Formats: sequence, C-alpha cells, structure tokens
Amino acid sequence: MAAVMPRVQVPSSVSKGEVFQIKALISHRMETGLRRDHEGNVIPRDIINKFVCRYNGADVFTVDLHEAVSANPYFEFYLRATESGPLEFVWYEDGGKLYSLAHQLAVE
Amino acid sequence: MFEKSPAPGQTRRALLLTGAVGLATVTLDLPANANDEHAGASEDTYDAVELIKRLTGKTPVASDRLHLLMPRTFPNGYTVPLGIEVESPMTESDYVRYVRVVAPRNPLIEVATFHFVPRRSLPRVSTRIRLAEPQFVLAAAELNDGTLLMATTWVDVATNGCA
Repeated sequence: MAAVMPRVQVPSSVSKGEVFQIKALISHRMETGLRRDHEGNVIPRDIINKFVCRYNGADVFTVDLHEAVSANPYFEFYLRATESGPLEFVWYEDGGKLYSLAHQLAVE
Repeated sequence: MFEKSPAPGQTRRALLLTGAVGLATVTLDLPANANDEHAGASEDTYDAVELIKRLTGKTPVASDRLHLLMPRTFPNGYTVPLGIEVESPMTESDYVRYVRVVAPRNPLIEVATFHFVPRRSLPRVSTRIRLAEPQFVLAAAELNDGTLLMATTWVDVATNGCA
C-alpha cells in the first residue's frame, strides 16, 4: 500500500475577522470492506474515519467519514480568523493510527 | 395511444421513481405511478423524510437555506463532487451544528457528517464521494435550536463507485 501522506493548504497570514479557505487532503485508499480479493476473501475495511481541525486547541471543524468518502479524502472548508495561533489537523485511521499536521496561523 | 407513451424523459423518471418506491412498499400500482409524475415525486420526498427521521429521530423540513451542490450526471461513481452550504450567521445564538449526508442506494448509506462551531467555522464544505448507482442524495442540517433542515438532489452516475 502506498504511503499515507497528509497535506494541507493554509494561508500563512490573514487579517482579523477574515474568512479563509483550508484544503486538507490525505492519500489513503479508503478500503470499504465490501471488496473481495482474487481468492474471494473479503478485503478488510481500512478507512480514515475521522478528521479534526483544531484552532488554538479548540475543535472548529470535524468530519465523521464513512465508507462512501472517496479514496484520498479531500476537504475544502472555511474558518474565520479570530486570533493568531496553531492550526492542527488530525486524521484518524481504523485501528487507532493517526496522522497529523500543524500550522502556525498569523492573524494581523 | 398517446397517453400510454409519454415523453422519454418522463418515462425514465417514472421508472426510476417506481424503482425507489418499490423497495419500500410491496404493493405498487405501477400504471398509476407511471402516468402521474407528481405522485411519484411526492412519494420520493416522503421516503427521504422517513429515512432522515429514522436516522436522527427528528422530522426534517425541506429548506432552501441548505444547499446540496452536486452534478446532475457524473461519468464515474468513485469521485463524485459534493458541495454543502448553509445560510447561517454562525453566531452563538444561531448556528449550524452539523450536516449529515446520506446516499440511500449505496450498500452502506452513510456518507459523512460535518460538524461546525459558531464564530470560527463556516457551514460550507466540499469533498468527493462514492455512489453505487443513480440516486437521490440527502443532506440534513441541524441548527442549534434543534431544527433539522433537509435537501435532496438527484445524481446520475454511469459506473458503480462502491465495487
């Protein structure tokens, strides 16, 4: 399986009160658990089941993902700049593994 | 003779609708349904409301404040674009708690639920989803006062994105 790679696109600085866009993507096959291999055995489910974006320690945008989210889950969402602080992104995989990225947001 | 052969578009729609209704109700008056497009359409909205009610325990109201943006037709079922937007001030006293998306004709109907918070997030998101077959996709948005808004949109996909 290809390496799981999270990526985000966030502006480095925004003005106070401004709405800004975030693009978050993780390379992941999102195996549904519905497919079978060549021998007819069910390929076990392996998906990213949760995505969380934290802004200054508080959850501001969360997604519960199910099997019907496409492979390499991609979200484009919008936050309002209230103050400077860290933005953290966490993807939770079936089985308890997680992937995360952090970004420092400067609000002017 | 003319009455028995409606426009091709109408036949197709009637067929799709009777297909959807047929799953839920065993007794089905096919000729009546095939001749009355509106009866079929209201029947389908009714199914959507029932499904949302079963999943959330709340009765949704169809709302034009909730926008579910999807292509009417898409060549493959693997990466169908999904956009959601709710008109809301997102203040502490008036905001969207979550939007839940369901694809009733997928083998597993839940797609995703997006959670928002007042002031800091906007109820607007886009992503890509899998659809197993042409169907009505449903979105339900819960506001902080408990109101549940609903929107549906028809999406035609040419290939099964869940296989």
